[in-house]
Amino acid sequence: MPDTAPQPRVLLTKSFIDSHDRAIATIALALRDAAMEVVLIDYEQPEDVVTVALQEDVDIIGLSFMSGGQVETTQKIVAELQRREVPDLPVVVGGVIRPFDVAPLEAVGVREIFRGGAPLTDVVATFDRLARAYRSHV
Amino acid sequence: MISADTKPEESPYALWQQTVSARYKDRSFVARNRSGVEVDPVYGGLDRHGNEAEMPGQYPYTRGIYPIHYQFQPWMDLQIIGFGLPSQTRERMDLLLEQGGSKGYFDREAYNFIFDMPTSMGYDPDHPGVRGSIGDCGISVCKARDYEILLDGKDLAKTTVSMVLNAGSPAMLGLYLAAAKRRGFAFDKLGGNLTNYIWDFFGHSGGTNFSPRGSYRLIADIAAYCAEHVPLWNPLTISEHNICEAGATNVQAVAYSIAAIIAVNEECVKLGIDPDTVVPRFGFHVRYGENFFEEVAKTRALRRVYAKVNRERFGCKKSGSLQARIHAQTAGSLLTAQQPLNNLVRNAYGALAAVLSGANGMTINAYDEALGLPTEEAVTLSLRTSQIIAEETGAVHVSDPFGGSYYVEALTDEIERRVFEIIADIDDRGGLIACIESGWIKQQVSAAAYQWRQEIESGARTMVGVNKYTTDEPEQFAVFQPDPEAARLAIADVERHRRERDATRCAAALEDLRRAAVEVNEGRAIGSVMANLVAAAEADATLGEMQAILHEVFGRNK
Repeated sequence: MPDTAPQPRVLLTKSFIDSHDRAIATIALALRDAAMEVVLIDYEQPEDVVTVALQEDVDIIGLSFMSGGQVETTQKIVAELQRREVPDLPVVVGGVIRPFDVAPLEAVGVREIFRGGAPLTDVVATFDRLARAYRSHV
Repeated sequence: MISADTKPEESPYALWQQTVSARYKDRSFVARNRSGVEVDPVYGGLDRHGNEAEMPGQYPYTRGIYPIHYQFQPWMDLQIIGFGLPSQTRERMDLLLEQGGSKGYFDREAYNFIFDMPTSMGYDPDHPGVRGSIGDCGISVCKARDYEILLDGKDLAKTTVSMVLNAGSPAMLGLYLAAAKRRGFAFDKLGGNLTNYIWDFFGHSGGTNFSPRGSYRLIADIAAYCAEHVPLWNPLTISEHNICEAGATNVQAVAYSIAAIIAVNEECVKLGIDPDTVVPRFGFHVRYGENFFEEVAKTRALRRVYAKVNRERFGCKKSGSLQARIHAQTAGSLLTAQQPLNNLVRNAYGALAAVLSGANGMTINAYDEALGLPTEEAVTLSLRTSQIIAEETGAVHVSDPFGGSYYVEALTDEIERRVFEIIADIDDRGGLIACIESGWIKQQVSAAAYQWRQEIESGARTMVGVNKYTTDEPEQFAVFQPDPEAARLAIADVERHRRERDATRCAAALEDLRRAAVEVNEGRAIGSVMANLVAAAEADATLGEMQAILHEVFGRNK
């Protein structure tokens, strides 16, 4: 029987002041090649991410950090997810994630952390798994 | 190329000898190697077509822009520096100086400042969207007073200040010049460099940059102002490096860089500025990455194409307009979080390629940059890498040592051919600005980046420690932790600054800036935006306040 489940919808995003977009643009192409629907935006305020996620009805959010803001921004986005009553919408983080960032990111419930060199196949599989699991429970 | 009737004294080699003896008198640049063999500073011979080959310092400058290069003037080491508050960066500057770094040309001290992302994009630390990034990955600077701390006690007439930033560039130069003026330095003694990456066609920095058209107008304004008032200042660096780092191939990056020069020159011509008055102060920032010989050949091709385009397309006559000055940087995108010490080796090969290409300045990345901000140990090792190449390897004894290599000469010609093909394609598509606006350039770069990544995934391209020779053992490395207090202090400082300044004077200066911006945007009074940025900064306007006006008038990137 053909798989008729709709493809996962993904929001990929980074701060408007972070100019390093090679990684996030590459991930976007890889997810699209895997037939996912990808929305790619820059945000000015962390809270904007949640607004777009709800408008676009996505199943997962991927945040890229190449130049700071890793913990503080993620905390704000997760808090906004709770305030808007979508606390289970999965969040994954990628980029320059330093050892001292890991514990606070895990503490707010980030599902996965990808650093440079992470195989694209793993990244794609993780997005697919988390997005489908989220959709099957909402 | 010499024809059959060229007189021997007009051959490239003879002309080179005449230039060298006129310029350096009797000084000898012959070196002696370990075995006592004397090596000449440059070797000549026949080119691929059987004619006597071009020599370094001769049009079209394939072999370098000076007849004698490192033997007379070593490259300038410009390690990237900057984090936290100006006072914190100043401590790191003093360390580098103590270690023998920060050496500019002609006994000047030289600093290559990088700013945190808010500053780089032209936002003050109290802008609501930038929390979490203040002082992280660069210095937080938003007012002229910050330069008085950063450069306290320095003789600015003997200090070269390089500023690496994006959309915040024009206002940043205003802050620096205002600080210099307050301390009584004449503008014609100030040397330095502004990257001025205010537009970006390779994906980079989306909506915080200026619109492509507004960018080129601003670049012309700054260049015209500097040519008249700050003649030693380099107001534009075309970043081949950043285009490569965004994922473009070497050929694409060189072609897009030259296309950017064409667009700037066309804007100048349109505004009635003679390119020969501004082009000699333009330069390039070039990446040295994974393919050793390709890096050398692309540098030689870049110099040649630049000379030809400026002479043949724009009628430039000054030799300075035809000589591409190159600041080299090793490839950040090749730094791996896995087995990070491997990056020391990658950086050393990249730096060696830059030296063998005849680059004029050098930034060697720190090996631990994939892990976080560089540690002091890593920064020192980058400097030592440069010092080992300069003072131990003998690589500096002969200019353009690959000149005449069958391989490198053929590759240089091939890169030149492909670069001119892309430039013709861009011309056919209506020029660079049209190609940025249509998204074509961005698509080309993203496609190249994705292809590179797929080659890593498939194993067609090897990255040691990432997709081959991997280890599972967890590695512990010291990672630099920025000061979390920096953000709070920077915000408190700018708030105090706003309270204590002469608000009436500042508002009037900002209003003058707005009027100048409108005029320049309409094609009049070119140079007056930069003049009014200096005046506004002197009146204690902040980076973000000046930027808001420029954004409003010149438009933001979409």
